[in-house]
Amino acid sequence: MKKLLCTALAVLATTLVTSCGGSSDDPSAEFKPSMDKNTKCSIKVVGDYGNFEALEAEFDRFNEYYPDVSLSYVKLDDYQNTLGTVLEGNDKPNIFFFYTWMIGNEKYAPAISHMEELSAAALKFNLDCIRPGLLNRDAQGKVFMVPVFSRTYGMLVNNDLFQKEGLSVPTTWSNLLTTCKSFADMGYVNPMMGYSKDSSSCWMNPVAYPMFVADLAKNPDALKKANDLDPAAGEYMRAALTAVGKLVDEKCVNMQECDTIGDNYTKVILRFFEGDVPMMICTGDTVSGTKKRESQSEAFIKAPFNYSFVPIPVTEQGGYFVDTASVEFSVNKQCDNLDMTNEFMRFLISDKELNQMASAKRLVAPTKAMSFDPVYAAFGNVPTERTFCPEVLGVKDPLAVQIRKAAHKVGKGELTVDEAVAMYGQF
Amino acid sequence: MKRIWVILVNVFIMLGILSFVVVYSTVESQAVTQRQIDLFENNTITMERVTENYFDGEQRICDVWSHYINSKDMTIEEATSFVRISHVLPNASAHIIYADTLQGLSTRPRLDAPDKYDVSYERLELLKDVSWIEEEIGKSINVSRAYTNPVNGEQSIAFCNFISLHDTGSGSSKKAILLRILPVSELTLKWAFPRGEFQNAELSIIDVNGDYIIKGHSFKNSSFFEFYRSYNKGDPAAAQALFSKITSSTGSFTMLNSHGEECIVSYTPFNAAGGWTLLNMMQMQYLKINTENWMLIGVVSAGLLMLFVFDMIFMLYFNKRLQTVAKEAESANKAKTDFLSTMSHDIRTPMNAIIGLTTIAEKNIDDKKTVRESLRKVTLASNHLLTLINDILDISKVESGKLNLSPQTFSIVEMVDNLINLSQPMVKDKNIDFRFRTSGMDKEFLYADQLRLNQIYINLLSNAVKYTGPGGSVSVDMKEEPSQKPNCVKLTYIVADTGMGMSPEYMATMYQPFTRQTDSRVNSIQGTGLGLTITKKMVDLMEGTIDCQSELGKGTTFTVILDIPVAEGQPTEMKFEPMDVLLADDEIFMETSAETLESLGLRVERARSGSEALEMIQKRHEDGNDYRIVIMDLKMLDVGGIETIRRIHADVDSHLPVLLISAYDWSDVEKQAKEAGASGFLSKPLFRSTLYGKLNEILGTETKSTEVENDDSDLEGLNILIAEDNEINWEIISTLLDSYGITTERAENGRICVEKMKSAEKGKYLLIFMDIQMPEMNGLEATRAIRALDDPWASSIPIVAMTADAFSENITECLNAGMNGHIAKPIDIKLVIKEIRRIKEESKQ
Repeated sequence: MKKLLCTALAVLATTLVTSCGGSSDDPSAEFKPSMDKNTKCSIKVVGDYGNFEALEAEFDRFNEYYPDVSLSYVKLDDYQNTLGTVLEGNDKPNIFFFYTWMIGNEKYAPAISHMEELSAAALKFNLDCIRPGLLNRDAQGKVFMVPVFSRTYGMLVNNDLFQKEGLSVPTTWSNLLTTCKSFADMGYVNPMMGYSKDSSSCWMNPVAYPMFVADLAKNPDALKKANDLDPAAGEYMRAALTAVGKLVDEKCVNMQECDTIGDNYTKVILRFFEGDVPMMICTGDTVSGTKKRESQSEAFIKAPFNYSFVPIPVTEQGGYFVDTASVEFSVNKQCDNLDMTNEFMRFLISDKELNQMASAKRLVAPTKAMSFDPVYAAFGNVPTERTFCPEVLGVKDPLAVQIRKAAHKVGKGELTVDEAVAMYGQF
Repeated sequence: MKRIWVILVNVFIMLGILSFVVVYSTVESQAVTQRQIDLFENNTITMERVTENYFDGEQRICDVWSHYINSKDMTIEEATSFVRISHVLPNASAHIIYADTLQGLSTRPRLDAPDKYDVSYERLELLKDVSWIEEEIGKSINVSRAYTNPVNGEQSIAFCNFISLHDTGSGSSKKAILLRILPVSELTLKWAFPRGEFQNAELSIIDVNGDYIIKGHSFKNSSFFEFYRSYNKGDPAAAQALFSKITSSTGSFTMLNSHGEECIVSYTPFNAAGGWTLLNMMQMQYLKINTENWMLIGVVSAGLLMLFVFDMIFMLYFNKRLQTVAKEAESANKAKTDFLSTMSHDIRTPMNAIIGLTTIAEKNIDDKKTVRESLRKVTLASNHLLTLINDILDISKVESGKLNLSPQTFSIVEMVDNLINLSQPMVKDKNIDFRFRTSGMDKEFLYADQLRLNQIYINLLSNAVKYTGPGGSVSVDMKEEPSQKPNCVKLTYIVADTGMGMSPEYMATMYQPFTRQTDSRVNSIQGTGLGLTITKKMVDLMEGTIDCQSELGKGTTFTVILDIPVAEGQPTEMKFEPMDVLLADDEIFMETSAETLESLGLRVERARSGSEALEMIQKRHEDGNDYRIVIMDLKMLDVGGIETIRRIHADVDSHLPVLLISAYDWSDVEKQAKEAGASGFLSKPLFRSTLYGKLNEILGTETKSTEVENDDSDLEGLNILIAEDNEINWEIISTLLDSYGITTERAENGRICVEKMKSAEKGKYLLIFMDIQMPEMNGLEATRAIRALDDPWASSIPIVAMTADAFSENITECLNAGMNGHIAKPIDIKLVIKEIRRIKEESKQ
């Protein structure tokens, strides 16, 4: 059933890709202030983003309606551990980041207890503009968090380099391997690269995770086992882990070189902008930082090139489009100025604003009427059978941790595929 | 200079001034802006000092705690307890964290566990690199960036020191970090610009990487450098240079904020907190730049534009005036040329006649008839020439504004008499029906410039006669009415003729000099074209009005109305004893004559014709009630005046006195009239005074007129001294006077004249004719000298000026010098004789 729903959603999303422009013309999308425009108050959004210019741009737009509302974004140190304290403290935020993977973790229970029910009819939030698969509802169907971005996995491709070398961007697994070989033969040390120092946002996960989840999706029992961290589910990681190992073994990925990348975000981007890496494996979160860093890379400034973010072709049919919620916003029901906070959320939860914010952030919007940035254009071509929403499928966070860590260790050569498969549930 | 150049120069000057104002204003604005920026920077520096002092104060507290803890070899619990009780600020707290484990204790309990004070910085990046904390206490301000307090979740800053704690486990000392923690919210409340001109400014503190230590609301991103790059496109190298400058020096720059607004950002580094920089940002619009300069530019622009437009309008107006003046000058120049040309022609014409006729006379000296005819024509040409010269001189004086009136008492009766006399010859020649009627002429003596008044009347009358063909008629009506002006009478003078008339076109310009109607008939008539001009000027000068009604081919009527002062010494009461008088006249104007007679106390009966008069006289005679006198017009419808007189005296009463009146010169009929028995003659119009005098004379109530016509015997033997330097003039006057039996002596100049008078016996000379312009001593000086002589006879001898200085002011000048009269050259011998007689009569009295 969930698969069917996910498929239907994907069809809907793909259809809407071509009609994204019409959404902003919808009168319902037009925000109409419902409070005194001269209201003076402060709204604070806390999260773990180092900076959030896209949101700050929304603040400015909201100030066009309410010029005296002071909105700010604050990055919390050690977000995962301080969120609960912050919500209980004197300096309570109005809105805070929340992630799907936090659900079910007792550590975040206090945070959940602060959440306002965003689906309450009185609030009149336009939750219908969000793709249902990304909208997390509890057992009663209530919504306590709204995704503002969608995350996906793939690889940044230096199109100019491909063109220069007379190669096409690979669309199948074997094609990927031959392309890498071709680049290697041409002297490219790193046909593919990615962050590898630790498992968080490492290159192995974008390769392994979609494959693992796709395999699980075919077998609901296996998915249950996997969610339950049953070691028996480890076998379903094999194909994915093998693919990771193969990329290393076939010298598509040079691990020594990957280990030189200092962090999983800025350094990954700047390394890609050096211009000698045909393919850089990363998540959409990393892609979101590319636009700004174009001007920070001396190499890119000197020799700019055309690039795009494409699915990693891990099957002979092509790659997967994993449509999963990235950061989500929750409203602290115990905050000051709750009415104005809800007014801001009402303003923000619309096709227009969410699309605009996603575009500024260079991420995929969570709206039904999502509009792909040109960099993401390839994902619009992924067929529905290879598009899925993990949340819709019922994939839980512990499962994701297992595959990520297993893939990292296999890629690093710290475990064999067999060892990793056997260790499922222990990562 | 062409107009376009004037405009260009004006525009150039305007642009120059405007450019100067703009440049000046810009420079001023820049200077003001710079001053504001300097002030803004100074405020930033001040805020940095204030902040640093605040940090320093907080750090000192931390230092004191650290020193104390170190000095007491405290355990972490003891140290925490000590710090806890040392706290003063309610929102402040302290953490003591082991440097190795990043675990420690808080002075305040955890929110989620009120009985727990343990705290971990293990997951925070803050203390992973502690190189920013000086090992030595008190050496620097060791303040952290804003971070999330793991105990209460508040964004806070911490003042830190390394301390040494007693480790109970090992018994040795253990390195730890003391953090004195203050909430950013608390700091932000205190840390704001004082209200004033920079109250919109916002502060931030950044570290050497541009990351915010403390972030103001308008500062976006987590890094100021990122914020700058996001909204300010440009050369990355230049941006990097700017960032280096920001973190190492004091200054300011402008950038765009997230709203695209231009902002001024001033920066200054913290001295004590290494690598930190205080940023102060405010929108440029809040910098109080003096915008009045734009108003100045606007006002100057508007002013210059108005000035320009005004100048242009004035210039156009002035140009138009100049064009008009130029046209007038051109016209005047043309008029001058025309004048000279006309003068040349008009003077040469009579001169030609004079010279030519003189030559003819010389060549035919033996042919008396030819000589007489030539001399007659010479006289006519000379008179015309004289008139022309007088007119020219008059118009010249009028044009130059030097014509002054010289009022004197005169008799309007004499003036009218003179007018009639002057017009008679031509009237007779042309057989014109001439009528001169008066009405209400009560005041005989008036006070005005007789010469000019005469000129007006003569000009109009002579024109009427001149331009009226033979058989036509000319009538003059003179009317006296009360005037609005005090002591004046309104004298209306109407000259109507049945002459050729004038076209409307000519009438529009008829008062301009040298304008004569273009008409072949006119061309055959002598004229200077100045008469009407002078007349108009004279009338204007006398503040009167002149009106003209004319129709081409039908005639012209000029009406002159003048207010003339009445002279003192009017004739005394003129009344007769009541007696019956018959007035025989066929004129409509007879009513006026009858009224005049009645005003003299006479009972008047009227007869319209000679026969009617005869019948009425006959009847009266038969009734034994004769008229006392009959006043009869010379020309009547059926029987003429002379014939009627003859019949009266022959058939009715040979003694009945009859006064013959006529509008014409009666000298031609005098003999006939006398033979018929006319008792006397009187010219029309009938003035009260003349009528009164004449009736008295006829009725024997007064002596006869003293004037003896055509009898010059009274002049014989008179001796006159003539002061004349010009030989010809002397010859003329002496010869002419000699013809009257008057002897003359000549004095060649004024001095000789005076000498002669000094040596003359009493009564030797009747009078002196004195030329004015003479060598050695002029006539005026000579007159004054004579008047100053001791001999009463000599000093009172009548002196009459005989000079070519013929203007009224010359006359006045002569009279003022002591002369008794003035005769203008060329002389009219009749006038000279008249003057001699007048003086002779006066000398008798």
